[in-house]
Order: sequence, then structure tokens, then C-alpha cells
Amino acid sequence: MPRDQPGLTLIGKLTVAAVLAASAYGAWYYFRGHAAPGNAVNSAVTSGRAAGGDRSTTTIGVAYGTEKQRWLESAVEQFSKTPAGNNIHVELIPMGSIEAAQALVRGDERIHAWSPASALYKESFVTEWTLKHNKSPILREDTLALTPMVFVMWDERYQAFVKKFPNVTFRTIGLALDEKSGWSGIAGRSEWGLFKFGHTHPNQSNSGLMTLVLMAFDFQRKCRDLQMKDIVDEGFQDWMRGIERGVTGLSNSTGNMMREMVLKGPSSFDALFVYESVAVDYLKNAEGRWGRLRIVYPDLNMWNDNPFYVLDAPWSSDEQRKAAGTFLDFLMTEPIQKQSLVHGFRPGNPLVSIKATDSPFVQFGSFGLRVDLTTTCETPRAEVISNLLGSWQRANNR
Amino acid sequence: MIRSARRPAFAAVAAFLLSMVSWVWGCSRGDTQAALAEDAREPTLELLFTYGSEKQSWIDQSTKSFNDQRRRSGSGKLIRVRPVPMGSGESIDELLAGRTQAHLTSPASSAFIKLGNAESRAKTGRDLVGPTQNLVLSPVVIAMWKPMAEALGWGQRSIGWAEVVDLARRPDGWASRQHPEWGRFRFGHTHPRASNSGLIALLAETYAGAGKIGGLTLDDVRRPETMRFVEGVEQSIVHYGSSTGFFGRRMFANGPSYLSAAVLYENMVIESYDPKNRLPFPLVAVYPREGTFWSDHPVGIVEREWVTPEHRAAAQEYISFLLARPQQERAITFGFRPADPGVQLAAPLDAAHGVDPREPQTTLEVPEPTIVNAVLDLWQQVKRNARVVLAVDVSGSMNEQNKIGAARDGAQSFVSALGDRDEIALLTFNSKVAWALPQTAVAPARQRLLGLIGGLFADGGTALYDAVRDAHASFTKSPEPSRIAAIVVLSDGADRDSTVTLDALLKQIRFDSEGRSVRVFTIGYGSDARAQELQAIAEATQGRYYEGKPENIREVFKEISTFF
Repeated sequence: MPRDQPGLTLIGKLTVAAVLAASAYGAWYYFRGHAAPGNAVNSAVTSGRAAGGDRSTTTIGVAYGTEKQRWLESAVEQFSKTPAGNNIHVELIPMGSIEAAQALVRGDERIHAWSPASALYKESFVTEWTLKHNKSPILREDTLALTPMVFVMWDERYQAFVKKFPNVTFRTIGLALDEKSGWSGIAGRSEWGLFKFGHTHPNQSNSGLMTLVLMAFDFQRKCRDLQMKDIVDEGFQDWMRGIERGVTGLSNSTGNMMREMVLKGPSSFDALFVYESVAVDYLKNAEGRWGRLRIVYPDLNMWNDNPFYVLDAPWSSDEQRKAAGTFLDFLMTEPIQKQSLVHGFRPGNPLVSIKATDSPFVQFGSFGLRVDLTTTCETPRAEVISNLLGSWQRANNR
Repeated sequence: MIRSARRPAFAAVAAFLLSMVSWVWGCSRGDTQAALAEDAREPTLELLFTYGSEKQSWIDQSTKSFNDQRRRSGSGKLIRVRPVPMGSGESIDELLAGRTQAHLTSPASSAFIKLGNAESRAKTGRDLVGPTQNLVLSPVVIAMWKPMAEALGWGQRSIGWAEVVDLARRPDGWASRQHPEWGRFRFGHTHPRASNSGLIALLAETYAGAGKIGGLTLDDVRRPETMRFVEGVEQSIVHYGSSTGFFGRRMFANGPSYLSAAVLYENMVIESYDPKNRLPFPLVAVYPREGTFWSDHPVGIVEREWVTPEHRAAAQEYISFLLARPQQERAITFGFRPADPGVQLAAPLDAAHGVDPREPQTTLEVPEPTIVNAVLDLWQQVKRNARVVLAVDVSGSMNEQNKIGAARDGAQSFVSALGDRDEIALLTFNSKVAWALPQTAVAPARQRLLGLIGGLFADGGTALYDAVRDAHASFTKSPEPSRIAAIVVLSDGADRDSTVTLDALLKQIRFDSEGRSVRVFTIGYGSDARAQELQAIAEATQGRYYEGKPENIREVFKEISTFF
């Protein structure tokens, strides 16, 4: 390893090591036809406590990434009305993936189950936990839903953008950010101000780290075998720094960034790089406020698999472990999985088709949404990702 | 405090917001406590909620609805939310110090949460406030009278900060836009160290002066052309102030002869359409072409030991209630944009109320803290300076309840807050009026003045009207129109010794729309103060009346200092 290679914290190293398994798993899982891994999908009614039994309420805390906020909030409300969920109170705790992993290792007793955006952080979490507790923290797990990454842009600005640049890629986004006069130079629209692009914080959010990996693939014009030399390449470093200088926002939550884009309109962001599900979830809201959004897929893409872990934490009672499992069963039922589709996810339950006529993937084709991806990339080696994140931190002092 | 120019911008904002609401807080707390007495008979879980006072009407109504539902906590206690309006910076400072043990908080801007969490992490390794959600939103706009906005092209094209502030700099004012009958372009924004909207206006002026829309550098700020530009704008400012709401309501009450345009929140433009305002023309919101900023009202649960799991669950329930559709739709009626993206924007968020829900199209880039501080330093150098007469009642009744002691302390804090280039005179009055210190520059006289104030003692009657008359006469004898002219008068009782009557005084000092006015800020001090007369004096001059008492007089003086 060259002497000037950037360093990374232990959790960072462990984290990026897990990316190997996570994205590969996601791709494998999706393309093998949604066969449900792990435990069987049971109905909430059959696996939960008997309705009308013990009337005391069991409270469980579920840490989750805000990209699933709308779907999970709706699911929790419906769960409370089922016989199985009648005596279970689910408290949703929005948290970034690294933030949740660290909270659990610290012993945050509010959390009894965890659903990050991807399994990217699983390995580092399990390793740290096991060092402390001498056993695995995960009692049971399942994949809730899958989603790739997309650019989302205000349609009016997208139309103006593609008149100047042939398509939306990290390269053309970089050129737009580099335009000193902003939209005045891009499309003669000085009233639109500077070009504003955002993604989440790579060291705090799964989608931010995904952004860096896909930027590296885009720059090197390849989809596999990303090497250390590709990352330390001076041209790539300069190019990445140039883009990142113009990036705004850097929230730890993809859902919150998308929400801000819809609430504040193009005054906050012209474009974001987010999960497909998050973009789909806000398409209609945006239309009612600031106008249409446009979804654009990067030529090279990767999957996020939204796992759900029932935790074997010392602060969890047997009732809470059982309740978390009951809630997971409920999330995997066909009606709730179908609702995940409404919120833009590609369901983890293979019985739910994304090609049904009421599927957003069919309905929102005019927004740029599509079912098939062109190319999904191979996850780089851990040390490559580690150095990519390290060089980003060093270049951006963040 | 104003002179400590190198404090981080928002920390400065935090410090100054203290004065804006503390006395309001006292009143509000009393009312709420009375309401809570009803439920004193049963076990209650009280949630203390500190929030930015800009959204007080909405929070008051929504919280009443929540409390009326008589919800219960997990252990069966009645949940009561006690909302306390507070300056955004102050609410964070109070939490950091543990003085106010709120369970949840909502400042006007997420910047305050970030600063509070950063400070908390540095000190304790943990956040002060947990994850937040926006409650409502409102962009900062330039509020302008519709005919004036139309003269600038409003409705036909977008208008920029650069055009507005350039017009404010021009001595020929509206004549340069073929409207000599409108006189000078009178521009207003709040104190940039005391108020978020004032800081935003100043940053926008600096961008315009530097000819940029992003990437502001220290060199840009320090360039002589930038300095001259900002100075030109600031010299046209009517006065400053800590409260955007007060500024807006003054504009509604006094019309275009008082202000042509002011930097306000969008919801205030909508508020102006309330029929009780009886405006001469409608107000409209100009969304500056170069961009603006948002006030986003984040709410979060406090991460401190006094917040139990039961408090947390109840707080979450209250937040969910505020974010639920009925409350979000109600926020629209108060002119706020709802934070629930599922709630459609509707009237009064429309053109009929002077606003455009499809704006703003872009935001200005927030510079790094070092650059913000450089901009504030620049402002300190080029701001419109003040010429103030401080008139203090030293009648015998000031000896009661140590009123004179607290008044000395408050007056000294006022003098400390003035800028070096401001001018001040000290006048005392009991049965007679006496000039303790004639008009002089603050910098060389500050220590002497502090000593003089420290030596004031009370004795004799009250010649309030004569004191105001004499103070006013000192301005008319030697006018200096480049300065903000003001009298700050503190009085604790009825006038018994003046030779001039109130009516005669009011005629003499009444506001002059040609801009040669002297604003009188009156403080009715203690329970015997004559509020009606003092209010009449303030209103006649477009100043402001304050209720003071020994416990809050320091804050009242501090707030008045933000007008200069």
C-alpha cells in the first residue's frame, strides 16, 4: 500500500468490508427470483401472540433508515389493528445505518430490531458486538425490499439540462457544478441560481457511500474489478474533489434529503442521487407542489437490500424478541409487501409482482421509472472502498 | 455584546434573542399555569416545549387542541403540553445550561440544532436534541408595497437583491424609477446579530456588492467596492430591531411613508392581508432572483436525563399530532407552508395574498462561519450609526423595590451594547430635567457614562413630558440626518411636574414622513408607570413602548439596543 494512502477508522474498515457481501447478496437475491431467504414468511396472525390473551402491551423499538419511513409508519399503524399487533407497541426510531450500529454497540436499550438500508454495515456491527457480548446479535433476519440508486431532478430543469449536456451522469453533473454562473451558463436561466446537487454523507449514510462507489465506476468507465490504482488515480481524485466541492446538503438521511427537495423545491436541490424507492415515494407529492420530477438511472448501478434484524440484545425480554419477530412476519405478508411497492420498493416477498398494472413501475413510466437496470456493478474489494471513503474524508475535511 | 464582533454568527443571534421574548414568556407562562390548575387534581405528565416565537399563534391553537383531547401516557397520567415561546438561540442556550428543562424544542432554523448539538458533543460527547422533523416552513422574502414592486417589474420578471439594495443606496430614490412622488426608497431589515432575517439580508447585500451568487470569499468581503456598496444600503436603513414580527407589523401600520420594503418571512406578508390591518396598498413578496433562505422550524426531543421514556413517548405523540393533517392544514391558515409533503398548498398561500408558492427558485449559499463573521464585522463598520438620548426617571418612587438599582444595571448594559461610532447623551429627570452628559461619541465617553449611570440616585417628582421635549429639542437644534435619531426614556410614574402638556408634546414630536423624525422608545417601569401616556409618546414617533420591571429591565434595554 503506498504511504500516502488515506486511513480509516476501525468501524469504517469493518463497514466497507461488509459492502462486498451486501451488494453481491442483494444482486444475487434479486435475480434469483425473490426466493425468500431465511425463515419462512408466516402470517402475523399465526406467529404472534393469541388475540385476546395477555392484555399487557409489549413495546419494541425498531431503528430504521428514513428511506423506509412512510412505508414503515403506515405498516406500524396497520399492525396495531391486527390481532397479533394488538398488544405490541412498535416505536420507530429513525437512524442512519452507522449511527444505529454504533448506538447498539454502545447499548442503546431503546432498540430491539434494526432495519438499515442495506446489509453493508452488518459485518462490522456483528464483529464489534461479538467482541463485547461473545455471541451474535442477530436472532433472525429477512430482506424486506430491494432498491437501486437513481438521479432525481426537477423535470423542467432536466429538460434544460439535457439541451446542454447529452445525458445525466456524474460526469455531466460535475460539469454543471463547475459552471461558475450556474444555470445562467447552462440554460440562460439566471433566476435558477447555481446548479445544486446533493447526496447523503458517505460516512454516515449507506446511499452516500454508494454514490462514491458509483462515481468511481463512472469515472473509470468500468463495472467490475475496481482497483486501488483507480482510486488513487490523480485524475479521479481531482474530478471527485471537483464534484464534491459543489455538493450541498450531506444529510445522514436519504429520506430527509428527498423530503427537503420536495418541500423546498428547486430552491434547495436541482438534483439528488438517492434510492429509487425514495424518489418514487415522493413523485406525486412533488407534482402537487413544485412540478414533475424526472428519474434517471445511472448506466452503472448497485442494489440496496433493506434487511430486518431481530436482535438478541441483553435488554430484550423474551416477549420483545417474540414481538419483533411477529412484526417482521407482518412486514413480509403480501398486503404489506404490496404497500412497499406503492412506496417505490421492489418487494422482498417474491409473490408480489412489480409488473402488475397498479405498480408504480408501470404507472410512472413517464417519470422515467423502469423495471430493468442496464448494468449492476460488482462490489469492489473492501480495501478499495475503504480507501475511497478515506480519500473522500481527507479531500473534503468531513 | 454587539461589540464582540468575532462571536460565531448564530451564537450572537442566540444571545440577542434573549431579550425579544423573555417578558412575553413571563406573561404566557402565567396564563398556561392557570389553565393547568384545572388538572391539578389528577396525576399529570407535563411536557415543556420551548419553540421559536414566530409560530406562536399556530402552536397555541394546536396545543390547545392536543391538551383538550386529554390524552394519557403509558402509565395513565394525563399528558399536558406547556408551550413556551422563546428565541431560538436562547432555547438552545437554556437547554445546554440545564436552566430550562424542556422535553422537546423547536427553534426557527435547523442551524440552531446543529450548533447546539455540536456544542453538546464537545462538552458531553452526546447530542442535545435527537433527530428532528420540520414542523412548518417559510422563506425569507422582500416584502414590498404592490405599486412599488410593480414599478420594479414585479409580475413581469424576477427582481433581485441587487436591484432593491441598489435603489436603497440612491439619493434620488424612487425618482430614478420615474416615481419622484414616492420620495426616497426606505428599506428595512432587522439587526443582523439579533435576528435571522437581518443576517440573511446582510449576506444578500454582501453577495450583491461582490457581484456573486455563491463562493463568497474573505477577499470579496474586504474589497473596498463591497464595503462601499453595503455602506450605501445600510445608510438607507430606517432602523434595525430584534423582531421580524415587530418590523412587519410596523410596516403594516405605518404604510409606504415609513418603509418601501423590508426583509420579512413570507408568512408575515400573508398576515398583512388580515382585514384589521387596513393597508393603503397590498403587500407582495419579492423572491429575490439571486436566492434566499428558509426558516424550517425543526422539532426534536431533548436528549437529557430529565426526559424519561414516558416523556419521550408522550413527546413523540405530540410531535405526531403537530405533523398530522389537521394541524398541518391549520398551519396554512397562519401563512406557513406545511412540512407534510402530502398536504397540498392552498389559500392563503396564493397570489391573492401576495405570495407565490412556486417560489423561491433558488437559495443563496450560506458562507463558512469565518466569512459570516467577516460580513458582520463589515456591517459594524458601515452600519447606520445612532444618536441617542437616554432619559432616566430619578424621581423618589424609583427607590421602591430597588427599581433604581435595576434601572442603573439595565441602562449600563444598554450603553455597553452601543457601537463605538454611535453618539449618546444622558438626561435625568425628577421635578427638573438635567443633562448629566451632553451629546458625545460613545467610544471615548463609554466608561465615564457607565460611571455616571452607576451614581444615579432617586429623589423628587416627575417631569416626564418636559424631559422628552428637551431631549427632542436637542435633535432639532442640530439635526444629523445620517444617524438614526432616538430617545430612550424610562419612567415609573405619572407626570406631575412638567410645564408642557401631553397633547402639546405629542404635536411637537409627531413622526415626520420626510424622515426627520426622532423615534422615542418608552419604558413603563413598575406597576405605577403610566402605560397609556408612554404608549402614546412611542406611537406618535413610530417608536415602541415596553413594559419593564426590575427583573426584566436589562433585557428590555438590550432589546432596544438592537434598533441601532
